[in-house]
Order: sequence, then C-alpha cells, then structure tokens
Amino acid sequence: MFEARLSQGSLLKKLLEAIKELVTDANFDCNETGIALQAMDNSHVALVSLLLRSEGFHPYRCDRGFSLGVNLNSLSKILKCAGNDDIITLKADDNSADSLSLCFESPSNERVSEYELKLMDIDQEHLSIPETDYDATIIMSSTEFQRICRDLMVISESVSVDVAKDAVVFSAEGEMGSGSVKLKQNPSVDKPEEQVVIELNTSVSLQFSLKYLMNFTKGTPLSDQVMLGLSENMPLLVEYKMDDAGYIRFYLAPKIGEE
Amino acid sequence: MGIHGLIKVIGDHSPNAIRHNEIKNYFGRKVAIDASMSIYQFLIAVRQQDGQQLTTESGETTSHLMGIFYRTIRMVEHGLKPCYVFDGKPPTLKSGELAKRLSRRKEANVNLEEAQELGDAADIDKFLRRTVKVTPEHNSECKKLLSLMGIPYVEAPCEAEAQCAVMARDGKVYAAASEDMDTLTFSSPILLRHLTFSEARKLPIDEIHLSKVLGSLDFTMNQFIDLCILLGCDYCDSIKGIGPHRANLDAKKYPIPEDWKFEEARELFLNPEVLDPKGIELKWKEPDVEGTVEYLVREKGFSEDRVRKGIDKLEKNFKIATQGRLDSFFTTLPSDPKVPSKRKNEGEKAKSTVSRPKAKRGRPRK
Repeated sequence: MFEARLSQGSLLKKLLEAIKELVTDANFDCNETGIALQAMDNSHVALVSLLLRSEGFHPYRCDRGFSLGVNLNSLSKILKCAGNDDIITLKADDNSADSLSLCFESPSNERVSEYELKLMDIDQEHLSIPETDYDATIIMSSTEFQRICRDLMVISESVSVDVAKDAVVFSAEGEMGSGSVKLKQNPSVDKPEEQVVIELNTSVSLQFSLKYLMNFTKGTPLSDQVMLGLSENMPLLVEYKMDDAGYIRFYLAPKIGEE
Repeated sequence: MGIHGLIKVIGDHSPNAIRHNEIKNYFGRKVAIDASMSIYQFLIAVRQQDGQQLTTESGETTSHLMGIFYRTIRMVEHGLKPCYVFDGKPPTLKSGELAKRLSRRKEANVNLEEAQELGDAADIDKFLRRTVKVTPEHNSECKKLLSLMGIPYVEAPCEAEAQCAVMARDGKVYAAASEDMDTLTFSSPILLRHLTFSEARKLPIDEIHLSKVLGSLDFTMNQFIDLCILLGCDYCDSIKGIGPHRANLDAKKYPIPEDWKFEEARELFLNPEVLDPKGIELKWKEPDVEGTVEYLVREKGFSEDRVRKGIDKLEKNFKIATQGRLDSFFTTLPSDPKVPSKRKNEGEKAKSTVSRPKAKRGRPRK
C-alpha cells in the first residue's frame, strides 16, 4: 500500500511545472524515505533529480519500494484540476500498480475530487551522480537568476559564467552584440532573498546553453533562493530547496570548445 | 541487401533494442556512414518531379552530389560529425549475390524497354529505378565533393558496412549508419538507420543496440551470426523453408548442411577484411568555399546562391562550441534488476488473463 498526503498541494503543481518541459515520461521511485525521480532529457544534456522526503507528507505510508511510471504531461494536466490550497493525496497499490489515484480536497473539505492516472512501463537509464565538492558555489535570489537568463537570451543561445573571489559574471556574445551581468558578493543584506553568497576554491569559467537554463528556472516558484555549483569541465548544478520537504536539482553538461 | 527479415526478428523478439530518435539528439556524435548505400539511395530518391534524375546540361547525373551535399549539411547543422566509408572490392563470397543483382538489372533493362514502348509512365519510372547502379565515377565525384567540404572519408578494403562496424566497435565513432542490417552482423555495437533520409519524410532515426538484441534473444555473437546467415545474407545461399520465424527458433540447434559456404560466410562476418581503426585519423576541416562553388556551380551547374548558403552553414557549425553530454561525466547505473524483473513476471501473468486498455503514450503496462 502506498499513500501520501500533502497538505500543501501547490508544491506538487509547481514541481510538475518545473520538470515537464524537460522530460516527458519518468518513474517516481517510492520507498519508505520518500519519493524520488531522476530523468534525463532526450538528448542527454540535462538531468533532473528530485526528492520529496516522507517528512513533507502527513501521513506517508509506503510498505515496499516500487516505481510509478508517469507521463508527466498527463500528470500535470490532472494536477491543474487541483486548487492551489487543496490537500493532495496520492494513492497506489504497490503490488500491481497500473494506475495512480489522486484526491484533491478543498481546505474547507466541502469539495473532494478524485482522478486516476494510468501508469506506464518506462525503462530508463539511471546515472550515478558523484558527490562533488564544487570549485565554486553561488547562492542567489532565484528570481534574479531567472531574470539574468531571460535577459541574456536576447543576445545569444549560450552564456559564459565566470566566478571570481567576490563576484560572478554572466556574459553572452551574439550576432547583434554582447551583454553581461555582474553580481557582487553581498551576504549581509537583511532580506535573505537578496543575498549573493559566493564560496570559491578556484575561479572557474564555463559555458552553458541558455535554452536549458531557462528551462531550469521554471523551478523558481519553488524557492526564493537558488544554488549554483560549478567546477571546471563538470556539469553545472542548479538546486532549488523546498525547505524540509525536499529539493529539485538540475544538472547541465557544459559546452565544450573544439578539441 | 543485408540480412533478410532481420529487422522483423528484432522487432518481434527484442523491441527494446530499437530506439527512435530525432536527428537533433545526435549532436556532437561522430558517425560512420556507409557511403555506397547512401549514394545508391540518392540516385534513386533524389529526382525531379517527373521522376528523372538530376543532371547537368550535358546530361551527367548529379543526384548523388545533390544528396551528399545537402544531407551532409543537414547532419552538420544538427551538430553531427559524419564521415563516409566507401566500398572496396567485393568479397569473393559475394559474387553469387552480385551476379543475381546484375541479372536483375538486366531484366529491369528489358522491362524498361518494353514499358517505354508501351508508354506506361508508372512502369517506366519503376524499372528506371531498378536499373540504377553506383559507378566508380559516382564514388570519385562524391569523394572530391567531400574533401572540398572538409568532411573525412575512409576507403574500406572490402565491405563498407564491415569497416563502419569496426570503427564503431573501436570507439572511433559513436555508431555506424547504414540501411544494411548486416552492419549488426559485423558486430557494430550501435546501428543507425534512416540517418541520411530526406527531412521531408519525417522518419525518426532507428537506433539499434546490438548488446540488447543479443540480450533479449539470449544469443552469443556467434549464434547471432548463424541466425543472420540462416535468414539469408549476401554471402551464401539460405536454406529453403527457413525464414524469419524458423531461423530464430532453430539457430541454436539446426544441423548445418554440407557443401554449403556457411563456415566461410561465418568467418567473413567474424573477421572481415578491414583497415585497422587505430590507423584511421578522422579530421573535420573548414570547408573550401571557393573550391566547392567552382566544382558544384561551374562544373555541375548547381545554383550558386544555394551552394553558398549551404557552405555558410558548414562554416558556422565548424566554429561553435559543442554541447557536452551528461553521459560523459556521470556513469550509467545498471537498471535495478529486482524491481523490473518482478514486474515482468506480473506482466506476463496479466497478459494471459486480460489485456488492459492502452495508455496514451509510451508502452502501457502489460
């Protein structure tokens, strides 16, 4: 038996919005510690890894590990039928799950809607992601990051990220000209959502596709802050933390100059 | 032409081995393309509206150059790094098959004349296509064009598919691209089909993984080669009464008839005559703009505007940084054997009782 009740249903709605552009079908792997998902986009350039801890649900019950193969677009459509304040309950028979049932209760408990989503068999490659100590980590406002990506998209399809001791520079160069945004280290502001915290071991300079970054910033509604992890010649990590409920992590392979 | 009915056997018994992909997902990949096969395709498919081949004013065929030029540009535009492999001399075992093809072409020639007398346009078109043959001139013209475009090519000592396969196995290229299924029999780890097809046909690229084919058939490579020979290859006759269905059932135990060049064919698949891939250096160079224009426009009567636009695309893609892939940074985990195997059993049980309605996309749970 699998049952998970999420009092803050909007979280699940936002999560689906954040990943459904990147991946079409994916397995939600459920076990006693929570619900996890790992999937790559078709061209194997980006990867999304998300975790919803069991502590985020009240109650959470999963007797044995199993996975729910879901078409994310369909799930997202069904979740659109839930109100933002609704309580969402997920249920499935972990023995022979061929459908996932979703129940949406309005806060006043006067309206209860129920949906069933057919499941699929998805055979998916899993990647092992090594724990990395990044050369540089940046914690900054998620809306600011979204804006930078959107602005530089005007100039080019790719952005260079250069991290030095006290500042990070995003720059782009294209046919019509060039542009850059520099953010200075700024840890002491009163409002945490305006902070810029840079931790640096060695300075790095990497190039990434803006199209994918724009896609990642669909995670912005999940958190006020975003964490970027960069190492030379390694994939970029973009992480949105959902307080104690879990996280969503995006990985993006860098662009490589000619060998 | 490759292995008779192999794609059907794989489709029936090992659907997991075939993946459909869009060309844009292959950016950054190096692929070895069976040139003779593609040129043949171009000669057949690249035609004017009235079904005639494209020619210069003096009547020389240019369909193959048209095909090589634009289809290569399309691949490069999507970030692929193509290299072409040309056939060398055919193996002696293939002489029977080649003789058959020659007689078929002769027959087609006769039919063509008849059709022309009768004036049946559809028949003329049909038989005209059957008379198509790739000549050494076609090959050398394509090689000249490729070197002008900065695209590398390899001249195989024998069969091009075998050379493509060995290059893919050695990691020189990501995959071998051919329509010939025997590329798999030459143990290419990955085979791409439909790569050089026209964009207008909107066919997805079939990516076939040899290891998955072997895995789901539960065959060793030698058994797989035997299966292919039984199905019918270019190198020896097949046994009457054995087709895609029975060959698969019996390949493990069927007695091998005597005075049959089975052993030789098997040996040819196992140890084909190829160049050592380690000695091959593939280099993609900047295209020679003026040279290409000179050749295609002045000599072959192509439109200068279109040729220049095409080369522009080649040049542009030569310069930009290529997008990396996560596979090269993170390692793939073997899929958890516990969970799927359990479900498979359940699936079989379920299949025998009720068939469930299909989900909209993907494979529904069985």
